[in-house]
Amino acid sequence: MTKKWLLLVATIIITFVLSACTANEDAGKEPESDGEGEGTEEATGEKILQLNNGEEPTSFDPAIGFDAVSWNALNNLLEGLTRLGEDHTPQAAIAEKWDISEDGKTYTFYLRENANWSNGDPVVAQDFVYAWKRLLDPETGSSAAFLGYFIKGGEAFNNGEGSADDLGLTAVDEKTFEVELENPTGYFLHVVTNPAFFPVNHKVAEENPEWHAEAESFVANGPFKLESWKHDSEMVFKKNEEYWDAEAVKLDGVHWAMVNDTNTEYQMFERGELDSADIPAEMSDQLIDGDNVQIEEQGGLDFYRFNVTEEPFQNAKIRKAFAMAVNRQNIAEFVVKNKVKPAYGFVSPGFQNPSGDDFRDVNGELVTFDPEEAKKLLEEGMEEEGYDELPKVTLSYNTSDVNKAVAESLQGMFSENLGVEVNLENTEWNVFQEDQKALKHQLSRSSFLFDYADPVNFLESFITGSYMNRTGWSSEKYDELIENAKSETDEEKRWEYMYKAEKLLAEEMPAFPIRYYNQVEVVQEGVSNLLRHPVGYLELKHTDKQ
Amino acid sequence: MLRYILKRLLIMVITLWIIVTLTFILMVSIPGSPFNSERGTNEAVQANLEAHYNLDEPYVIQYFLYLKSIVTFDFGPSIKQPSQTVNDMLGRGFPISFELGIITIIVAVISGVTLGIFAALKHNKVIDYMAMGFAVLGISIPNFVLATLLIQQLAVNYELFPVARWLSPAHMILPVTALATGPMAIIARLTRSTMLEVLTQDYIKMARAKGLSPWKIVIKHALKNALMPVVTIMGTLLAGILTGTFVIEKIFAVPGMGKYFVESINQRDYPVIMGTTVFYSAFLIIMLFLVDLAYGILDPRIKLHKKGGE
Repeated sequence: MTKKWLLLVATIIITFVLSACTANEDAGKEPESDGEGEGTEEATGEKILQLNNGEEPTSFDPAIGFDAVSWNALNNLLEGLTRLGEDHTPQAAIAEKWDISEDGKTYTFYLRENANWSNGDPVVAQDFVYAWKRLLDPETGSSAAFLGYFIKGGEAFNNGEGSADDLGLTAVDEKTFEVELENPTGYFLHVVTNPAFFPVNHKVAEENPEWHAEAESFVANGPFKLESWKHDSEMVFKKNEEYWDAEAVKLDGVHWAMVNDTNTEYQMFERGELDSADIPAEMSDQLIDGDNVQIEEQGGLDFYRFNVTEEPFQNAKIRKAFAMAVNRQNIAEFVVKNKVKPAYGFVSPGFQNPSGDDFRDVNGELVTFDPEEAKKLLEEGMEEEGYDELPKVTLSYNTSDVNKAVAESLQGMFSENLGVEVNLENTEWNVFQEDQKALKHQLSRSSFLFDYADPVNFLESFITGSYMNRTGWSSEKYDELIENAKSETDEEKRWEYMYKAEKLLAEEMPAFPIRYYNQVEVVQEGVSNLLRHPVGYLELKHTDKQ
Repeated sequence: MLRYILKRLLIMVITLWIIVTLTFILMVSIPGSPFNSERGTNEAVQANLEAHYNLDEPYVIQYFLYLKSIVTFDFGPSIKQPSQTVNDMLGRGFPISFELGIITIIVAVISGVTLGIFAALKHNKVIDYMAMGFAVLGISIPNFVLATLLIQQLAVNYELFPVARWLSPAHMILPVTALATGPMAIIARLTRSTMLEVLTQDYIKMARAKGLSPWKIVIKHALKNALMPVVTIMGTLLAGILTGTFVIEKIFAVPGMGKYFVESINQRDYPVIMGTTVFYSAFLIIMLFLVDLAYGILDPRIKLHKKGGE
């Protein structure tokens, strides 16, 4: 008895000592690993930027990693034909120059002679052909594939109808890459800045299809290379000396933590362990006016979709009444906060037409707050439909704190300004998506983020049959305007079509805007040029740290 | 003894099978799909992806494919992060969760038992009230609140410890403290109440009468019996803590297993859901089994099978 009791105690003690030993082993390592981060930085003056990626990147395979957690890193590891510059417009990158044919349908890119991969291989036209084919290959299952539909034969191949050989992609020679498009796409140079269009070193990828999964096998052609990658924990970037413009890169490296908690992230920032952090929602009021706050616009829209196939929203006047009853200024300022801007149109500010004017300024305020007009429209609409009482309306949103707060203020506004009581309903994101696509909602929360810098990216969502439509709304006139906006060679005219399309959208109101997005962060003193493009990816090429 | 163990093993396998089956039924009955996204993909691509992960097969076949993956312990790649297999994720996350968990348990047991003994020996004295007040606090403060408080005070204000991440022993102190406080409080209260009960038993009086020192009585005679309830709760406690705690791991950015449980369900990442559930259940079942065995060793009154034990 006593013996067994002793045995148990002994076991506990041994486990404790053992774990203490392993802890000690770690203790030996600690100054080393810590030293790498801070010690050497002070000693040799290395500039290592400390960032947080939130979570593990989905994938560094350009065709698969179609989200912010992948792009933030990937945009600084790889480089496409063009790259967004400090003014957010496409600049020559791996392509030194390009020719565009008369009809605007053929682009010939001339790649830089000194553009190399981090393993020393030259970046060749074949790398682009390989990567873009993969993007469109239905076997790849890329959710970014729709971006490649501009390429001749792209949509057919992706649908499983065409073949890879019919794609308009040709490697004329090592350094000349020719792309044929379906239509003259005036914004094609914008489109190819998207990480989905990054090249893939075809020699490496053919040998090892999983080249992108680990740091050891990853080959970069951008400003940085992947030095190490501890999955779900951290990544280390080092300046890529093989990069053609390595001189312009000021940082020696980037350390990425993966901390998926905004409060912890901010506390690490306060402690100096991070150079940039998001502002936790509950601290917004107290931090947003600080000197270290950096606010950048983000192309996108927070909006609500009507379901026009269900009562009462088959009636345009009733739809407009709901849209006009919403006080967007209040929602932006008091509910969402963080200095977001209310949306009086569908296309967010920041898209410049050929003469340099902003789309938003030219097309003006299309959806305003006007409770009296709203009430009038509701009465007219109800009369048209012969309603004595408005059918029950349920407003749906996917579960989140901000969405809930916005939905509740909408409920209040509809009640106050229209005298309509709507019910609120929330479901988890995945279920919500499915119901919205199946038109099971009446009025549902939606969100759009731009993939490339052209208004048509958003506007084409509402064409008949698009899987982005999700309203049941269909208009031949609108379809035609978008068709023209995608194929017109004359840029002035093309923008005219887009202005008209947006106006038609506001006229018919299958959806109504709430607010635009922005990118807010606090940045450590001494860090400069931490650039976030409105299309959502982070740019570290020009970033510096004192 | 051997027969008992074999019988238990058989029951364990059946339990596991029931869990797997229930998980599968629940999994396919939640609406949503791993391929849902704000943008969506076209139908041909969707169909391809579904075929790739065998999601186009009838449920019965999918079910048997899952059973097969469990038997061979090969759950295949994650759907959301296709370049990683579920085994990679478990292999990476579990050792870290385990490390955090085992240290937490040791801290919780040692401090909890000590606190409980002191409280019992100084029954209705200041130490008792202080210890139990502390324990009540420990039980009632949720660990995520404690975690945030610890970071704000000890890491940000006083800069004693790192804020988060899992790199060195210094990084372990705060998460272990946050995680161990709750179990410690439970253990302390349990130890105290059973200790009080044991201390009134005749054999303790006898020991006192023999003139043994109070400490010797506690350590040699009382503690062993007082620990029985603690052992009882150890099984669930161990399984829960060793396989990762989502909230604490998230707050301290510990790259353990906790997040796979929660995120795989949000993302409908079927292989990961299945892998984590099976792993967790198996672990829990084994822990409970070990606890039952430990009973027999600790308390001869509990017999694991009919004929004789000790």
